[in-house]
Amino acid sequence: MKLRISRVAASLGVTVAVAAPLALLVYQSFLSDPFFDPRATLGLEAYQYVLTSGDFHRAFLSSFAVSFGMTAIALPLGSLLGFLVARTDLPGKHWLEPWLLVPVFLSPVVLAFGYVVAVGPVGFFSLWTKALVGTVPWNLYSIAGLIVIAGLTHVPHVFIYVSAALRGLDPAVEEAARVTGAGPWRIAFSVSLPLVRPAILFSGALVFLLGFELFGLPLVLGDPAGLLVLTTYLYKLTNLLGVPSYQLMAVVAVSIVAITFPLVYFQRRMVGAAARYAVIGGKGRAFRPLPLGPLRWPMLAIVILWLLSVVALPLAGIALRSVVRNWGEGVALAEVLTLDHFRGLLQYPNLVRGIANTLAIGVLGGALAVAVYALIALSAHRAKGIWPAWLDYLSLVPRALPGLVVGLAFFWLFLFVKPIAPLRTTLFSLWLAYSVVWLAYGLKLITATLMQVAPDLEDAARVTGAGPARIARDVTLPLVRFGLIGSWLLIFMMFVREYSTGVYLLGPGTEVIGSLIVALWGTGALDLISALSVVEVVIVGAALLAALRLGVRLDA
Amino acid sequence: MPELVAEDIAKRLGENEILRGVSLRLERGEILALLGPSGSGKTTLLRSVAGLERPDRGRIAIGGKAIFDAAANLEIPAERRGLGLVFQSYAVWPHRTVFENVAYGLKLRRMPNGEIKTKVEGMLTRLGLKNLTGRYPHQLSGGQQQRVALARALAYGPPVLLLDEPLSNLDAKLREEARHWIRQIIKETHSAALYVTHDQTEALAIADRIMVLDQGIVQQEGTPEEIYARPACSFVAEFMGSNNRISATIAESDGRRARIAADGWSLWGELHGAKKAGDAATGVVRVESLRLADGGGDNRVRMPLKSASYLGERWEYLFALPGLELRVWGERALPPGEYWVAVPPDALWLF
Repeated sequence: MKLRISRVAASLGVTVAVAAPLALLVYQSFLSDPFFDPRATLGLEAYQYVLTSGDFHRAFLSSFAVSFGMTAIALPLGSLLGFLVARTDLPGKHWLEPWLLVPVFLSPVVLAFGYVVAVGPVGFFSLWTKALVGTVPWNLYSIAGLIVIAGLTHVPHVFIYVSAALRGLDPAVEEAARVTGAGPWRIAFSVSLPLVRPAILFSGALVFLLGFELFGLPLVLGDPAGLLVLTTYLYKLTNLLGVPSYQLMAVVAVSIVAITFPLVYFQRRMVGAAARYAVIGGKGRAFRPLPLGPLRWPMLAIVILWLLSVVALPLAGIALRSVVRNWGEGVALAEVLTLDHFRGLLQYPNLVRGIANTLAIGVLGGALAVAVYALIALSAHRAKGIWPAWLDYLSLVPRALPGLVVGLAFFWLFLFVKPIAPLRTTLFSLWLAYSVVWLAYGLKLITATLMQVAPDLEDAARVTGAGPARIARDVTLPLVRFGLIGSWLLIFMMFVREYSTGVYLLGPGTEVIGSLIVALWGTGALDLISALSVVEVVIVGAALLAALRLGVRLDA
Repeated sequence: MPELVAEDIAKRLGENEILRGVSLRLERGEILALLGPSGSGKTTLLRSVAGLERPDRGRIAIGGKAIFDAAANLEIPAERRGLGLVFQSYAVWPHRTVFENVAYGLKLRRMPNGEIKTKVEGMLTRLGLKNLTGRYPHQLSGGQQQRVALARALAYGPPVLLLDEPLSNLDAKLREEARHWIRQIIKETHSAALYVTHDQTEALAIADRIMVLDQGIVQQEGTPEEIYARPACSFVAEFMGSNNRISATIAESDGRRARIAADGWSLWGELHGAKKAGDAATGVVRVESLRLADGGGDNRVRMPLKSASYLGERWEYLFALPGLELRVWGERALPPGEYWVAVPPDALWLF
């Protein structure tokens, strides 16, 4: 009985938290004025305006081109990486493996900024290259630059799924090919990769979807070239028109969702297909990795080059930029070194608050989110009937909503729903938006953790006389406590690196590093941005090291 | 009054009919083995009694009180049925000590701590686990974990103890020992036990009564002796023991006995079911019923020796004629040649 109440509460809570912002966006998109304006009438004017706007068309085409281009880069590279790590004797792969996932935990806006100061027109590496060869042979501020960087930084998303699928493959199928006379590449292209095609397709769809949700990279890299994608178009809409036009923003948001939702749904269907494909169950037995032969070192070089370009290069750029007074042609590095930018952070109460808030929302908010996700996951854990299926579909919704859009919707909700309005300027509003944005990720983490408990252990408690709540308290939760700590660390990192969700909610009391960087980017305060970025990277890095130390699986 | 009654239990999973109307009765102090191959529905039946599965049809009562009735839409949840269940995987909670595992059921029943201590220690002593009370499961051997699982299920004195292949994860030697003490413990506690197994030797050794299940229906029910010595159908006959199977045609029949024959051989057997001359029949004869004879006689066949294997405590010979292959056990190596095999007519069952 108690469980039924908690299940109803959980389902109502999740449904409202997920559906309310989406419903408000859709409703607003059909109004002529802001929804709180008494003059607002239902109509399609907003759609007419946006859908016939040339800027919108260009933004849509750019989004599509970026999505397509980055998928074309990330998919082959990620699959290759997956095969090298999961199946071959790539030198040092055990040591390398945790690093391959690091880009997932770095904030895109920080990465983008890092690329600007490292390889932008006057970046460190650009100027050094210019000093050597007389010119900068690349242009970061172009759609090509954006595509290459988005593609390279999304390689881990493909790698995670492809390597996991390859690990589930019975090595005997590859050994059979080897004995028949196939070399490692032959095996990769004719046996291994075709067998994990569902995982490749799935991750391809994921990267394509993420392409439409990109915000930090196009904001920083596309802006100087006047390149707008859908999310940055939404963000700039207010500036473009000079007046806040809620109905137009809602239309753009709804347009993004109209593209992403079918992609998410399609992906969800593919998971089912992938599960059916999983007839080739791995036996988990020890097997000898495929020898790469003379290609071992060139392959290692490719992997390291990729890692350097997505982790070392931007991070080195940020680190360097945070300790120089200024930078440009003819500046000698040794003469401009300083720690003033970090001291400068302390001069601004909102930045100091931002750092404190970031830690608070990561540590406390992360723990609270894990607790809420755990309650939701427990209510559906080994449950039958429609609730688990409903929850599964509900958690698709936030995946289709870019953080920027969720943040916007929650901003409106907190602005105009009177009973919760006072919470807008507190971290609660931000926490709620973050928790909704990361709902699918968090539920997946916790559900996977709960599934590790053998059903017999719970059934044993049931037969012994324990009700569902008792089983959760006495058996399930104690058994998964390490998994929950790991989930908390992962959520901590996601909450700390989050930037787009807080953009609209940014205000006195709700500052966090991520949204401050976005706001500061508009003012060009590079000194402060670089110092803030270093602070964020250090926080995430510390959590990452702790997670690796504790043996938390990063590829969840 | 029977301790456990299940009537007409049926369960379907998609297209798959797992149970097709099974009924059973279990008296106080009795051990009933549910014996069958994998997929026969025996575990589903046990889990239905436990409340971990919901049958589509039927009625289950414990001590005369209904705990499940599909027609009345009554389903007492597993945690309020008060039964004991020993899992195949043991399912001993890894985060609790031996003592805590066994005490859990008593704690849920709000027994005072002092009483719990006495009871649990008594139970652990009985099962030879006295020195292990403070240990965690990962510090125990498989056999010890198995005992903890049994102690946990018995601790709160359930009226019916359910055991789901409790010995199948033990190695062969331990299993043979466990058969004895498990029966002894169940008998000492006077609880009724439903014992699921696919191992006929285990069922014969442990149970007072055996119910053979196949494809979701009861094939035969009876004492171990009845099941082994008087199988009711060819499935039970072949499922138990080591057998020779003969596919042949009935040559003549007097309704009680019949003769099967082919080129060069002819054998009388006991007829089960209505068969007349010309019908196809399956003959089953236990390997241990066959003997080598010195010369010809009633129901003897002269057969060439095809091969012989040494099995340790005995030899197994394989004799073959067209349409007739017989395995026979003996005590010595046989030189190649032809031998007389004696088939006692009452040991050859014709189905």
